[in-house]
Amino acid sequence: MRIRVGTRKVPIPPLFILGVIGLIAVAIADTLLNPYIVSVISFIFLYMMLAVSLNITNGFTGLFSLGHPAFMGIGGYTAALLVFPAARKIHLLPNLPQWLSVQQWPFFPAILIGGLFAALVAFIIGYPVLRLKGHYLGVATIGTIFIMRVVFRNAEQFTRGSLGLNGIPFKSSIWWIYLFLVITVYVAWKIKFSSFGRALFAMRENEMAASSLGINVTSMKMIAFVVGAFFAGISGGLWAHLTTVITPDSFSVGLAFNIVVMVVIGGSGSITGSLVAAGGISLLIEYLRPLEEMLGLYGLGQIIISIALLLVLIFRVRGLFGTSEPKLLRNNSQRDIS
Amino acid sequence: MSKNKHKAHIIVLILLVSMLSMSMVSAGAQKEAADAPIKLAGLFNVTGGFSSIDAPGLNGAKLKAKLINEAGGILGGRKIEVVGYDTQTDQQAAATQARRAIGDGVVAGLGYGDTTYVMASAPIFQSNGRPFVTSGATHPELPVWVGDMFFMVPFGDDDQSYAIADFAWNDLGVRKVVIWTDDSMDFTLALSKFFKQRFIELGGTIIHEVFYQTGDTDFSAHIARLRDARDAEAVFVGSVPNEAGLTVKQIREAGINIPILSADGYDTELVATVPGPRYANDVYFSTHTYRGDNRPEVLDFIAEYKKEFGRDPENAFAACGFDAVGLIADAIERAGSTDGKALQKALGETMNYQGVTGSIAYTRPTRVPVKPIAIISVQNGQFDYLKTWWP
Repeated sequence: MRIRVGTRKVPIPPLFILGVIGLIAVAIADTLLNPYIVSVISFIFLYMMLAVSLNITNGFTGLFSLGHPAFMGIGGYTAALLVFPAARKIHLLPNLPQWLSVQQWPFFPAILIGGLFAALVAFIIGYPVLRLKGHYLGVATIGTIFIMRVVFRNAEQFTRGSLGLNGIPFKSSIWWIYLFLVITVYVAWKIKFSSFGRALFAMRENEMAASSLGINVTSMKMIAFVVGAFFAGISGGLWAHLTTVITPDSFSVGLAFNIVVMVVIGGSGSITGSLVAAGGISLLIEYLRPLEEMLGLYGLGQIIISIALLLVLIFRVRGLFGTSEPKLLRNNSQRDIS
Repeated sequence: MSKNKHKAHIIVLILLVSMLSMSMVSAGAQKEAADAPIKLAGLFNVTGGFSSIDAPGLNGAKLKAKLINEAGGILGGRKIEVVGYDTQTDQQAAATQARRAIGDGVVAGLGYGDTTYVMASAPIFQSNGRPFVTSGATHPELPVWVGDMFFMVPFGDDDQSYAIADFAWNDLGVRKVVIWTDDSMDFTLALSKFFKQRFIELGGTIIHEVFYQTGDTDFSAHIARLRDARDAEAVFVGSVPNEAGLTVKQIREAGINIPILSADGYDTELVATVPGPRYANDVYFSTHTYRGDNRPEVLDFIAEYKKEFGRDPENAFAACGFDAVGLIADAIERAGSTDGKALQKALGETMNYQGVTGSIAYTRPTRVPVKPIAIISVQNGQFDYLKTWWP
């Protein structure tokens, strides 16, 4: 992936081209389309971010985690508390500690801090939880969602309990979200085609064999878990500044399942798969809405999605893309894992 | 990678791109003709956890639009259309669907029986200069949070809690109460907060307060504490409809016969049907004035609802949705236009609009309507209207 000025022609990386196409699409969307379509596309990008970042833990490493909503909540509340105008914070949250209530951060660093805080919590939770395997880990991470919900509900000083924070400034323009999506995909891609990524995949296939080859299983798992949580925290911050509301119930177990469905349909371990599945499912839900309203059959969309999931699981067990990326998007040096 | 697989990937990608481009085409502007129907957005959680409250709300709203159209429409014959947007008890859907409604060219929005979803959608109407009328969200600070484009059909939680507190103090002679609160909802927390505030102001004593959550089914620990509080003269339950029947049933089955007090969360048939006539006794709650009321608006509404949907209105939220559309239609008629600013002004000047849930006026600086509140009693499973409380 080098672009060198010299006599030799070096092909431009295909991912870079895809990113530029996306950038043009965002520019078109932002200038020509109505705010509804723009917000739908923004949420699609958010789901893509979530699916790709969950893929790092669930797909690459084979850690079946459902904890994404918990980390989104942490990132969301943290970013919202930092960005909120200090003048309004005094009224909304009168019991906030002085040092926090005077803060009024720009958007970008606040989102990053949200992600870092989520990563920190993931690091602490990871110690006990990552000892578990398979479904046990899944259940334990569901537990994190409930723990975080109870924390948000009771830390009224910071979160206003079940009332939640409302009137959060609308900051998540489609440009910001696209930027973070590109970063997420880039990082995931780099991880996948690095020796670290190979180690993760080796652990997924056979943990004992991997550790016998000198891979430090514990720390590798921890890194994958923390990186996934970091991006979940970032998307939580973006989510809060897009919907302008955040409550303890904003990020539920249902959301965790939606993201897992996207990863599974796309193919565990395939970044392209996550992107396609997240985009396809979100678009499908939006497309079915007018149909639901026309027929008066509210809830039809969810049924169709569930049937699609069943069909994929029956006829294409490894998901649309399996573990691989399409050849079109890879460099020659990036050997696929299959 | 096999050739076949490669093909499949390309097909999926093409499909995705074509769907995206189709959505761009369908987003083309729709211009409004002079005789086109006036569109109102009905944002409701028709599916998901709030469907029992919001689905009747949307039905009520659509019914009112139908009746107005049958009577000749507004602004000299233009029809009203309530476009239903199902937001699935999901905040994200509430935020996107509000933007979609604005894009669809609605002149105003209405909907929701809960504060959280109002806060995800109403600010979008505010920033686009179009009014939003909530049919059922009762938090008294909502108009402050959203802004000047926001109006409420129902009374505030403060009023309904004050009503039942006054009733308990004056009419039942209660001086010492136990409070049960569902702490998973903004609405129930507010109810208990305002009840306590009023009851203590009156000079009453709170013996103890316990908490539960929506979805709980076993209240035996709370009942044991209630039984120990021998000098308790009543129990106030800050509850949503879900637990209304169960709480009454279990308290009565334990042989505790003190009055049970609540607010419009108890305005459901469950209070009578779950415990049965033997146990559904001495229950008192404050609610929207329509149950047991025989004003012509109420009787007409119930008859029309029955004709349209083949059943009685499920709860007061159907009437609230009905009144939300009525309020907006009334304001459009008085403003003589559908312009957001003119409509906002006309809504603000609403004086004694005779709705199903009582007369509505926005005379308070807080823009929470001053509405009469009904006190209902349940004896032997029968609902009886007792009296009307005025703020």
